[in-house]
Amino acid sequence: MTIDDDRLSETFAALANSTRRSILARLARGAATVNELAEPFEMTLPAISKHIKALERAGLVVRGQRAQYRPCALDAAPLEEVSTWAEQYRPVWEGRFDRMDDYLRQLRPQRKTGEHDG
Amino acid sequence: MADDNDSQDAVRIERSFDAPVDLIWQMWTDPEHFAAWYGPDGSTIPVARMDVRVGGTRLVCMEMQTPNGPMQMWFTGEYRDVIENERLVYTESMSDENGNVMTASDLNMPDDHPTTTEVRVELEEVGGRTKMVMTHAGIPADSPGAAGWTMALDELAARVEAHTNR
Repeated sequence: MTIDDDRLSETFAALANSTRRSILARLARGAATVNELAEPFEMTLPAISKHIKALERAGLVVRGQRAQYRPCALDAAPLEEVSTWAEQYRPVWEGRFDRMDDYLRQLRPQRKTGEHDG
Repeated sequence: MADDNDSQDAVRIERSFDAPVDLIWQMWTDPEHFAAWYGPDGSTIPVARMDVRVGGTRLVCMEMQTPNGPMQMWFTGEYRDVIENERLVYTESMSDENGNVMTASDLNMPDDHPTTTEVRVELEEVGGRTKMVMTHAGIPADSPGAAGWTMALDELAARVEAHTNR
């Protein structure tokens, strides 16, 4: 599976918001209307709709075509791409260990005096 | 079946350092040394309290410069396994400055779910160098909000899986 970076960024951006995560968690239990999704939040419907649109753009939510209710449903496909998250954090740790290496180099002259080479 | 998925959600990194094993141990357990390398570029570790014994707690503050001024993130955890110069295992959770763990509800999650990850460091002296294997199970909590939403993502992925594997 190849990961489309832009798409992944969009997915992460959509997920980087607690309201939107809560909406997705609710949709994991089944489809719901915007009204139902708005219920647990102290937010206006337009505000909730904005969050849902962001989730739609990220491909995480699809909406039914029934004009009146247009229920929202979860589309889990982008989440499967994100599930390789661990690899995204590898560079963070690699960076840390690079710095550990540099730091160890700085310490060396203090530990073994006379071993300056260059 | 679901248990097998745990191993996927981990970062495993093996490194060899040109340093004695006791010094690498100190890199992880001496606050001064730890602060020198742990923070991402552009960040500092103003606080690192480490009671390095099984059951002992740790509290680490990471301070990042942002366009809106400095931002502090606090992490706490407990040492699970401490074998000097061999193995160090500790947990990590986002917390406040007093080490109170942020619960799932603090992070706006619908369920009361643990938000803890585990870091495992294994050291071995090989030919005068030190081989280090670091495994972080769960998600490293080191970018703004990472711990919160990535844990939430785990929770979410689990739910989705439960619903799609019918």
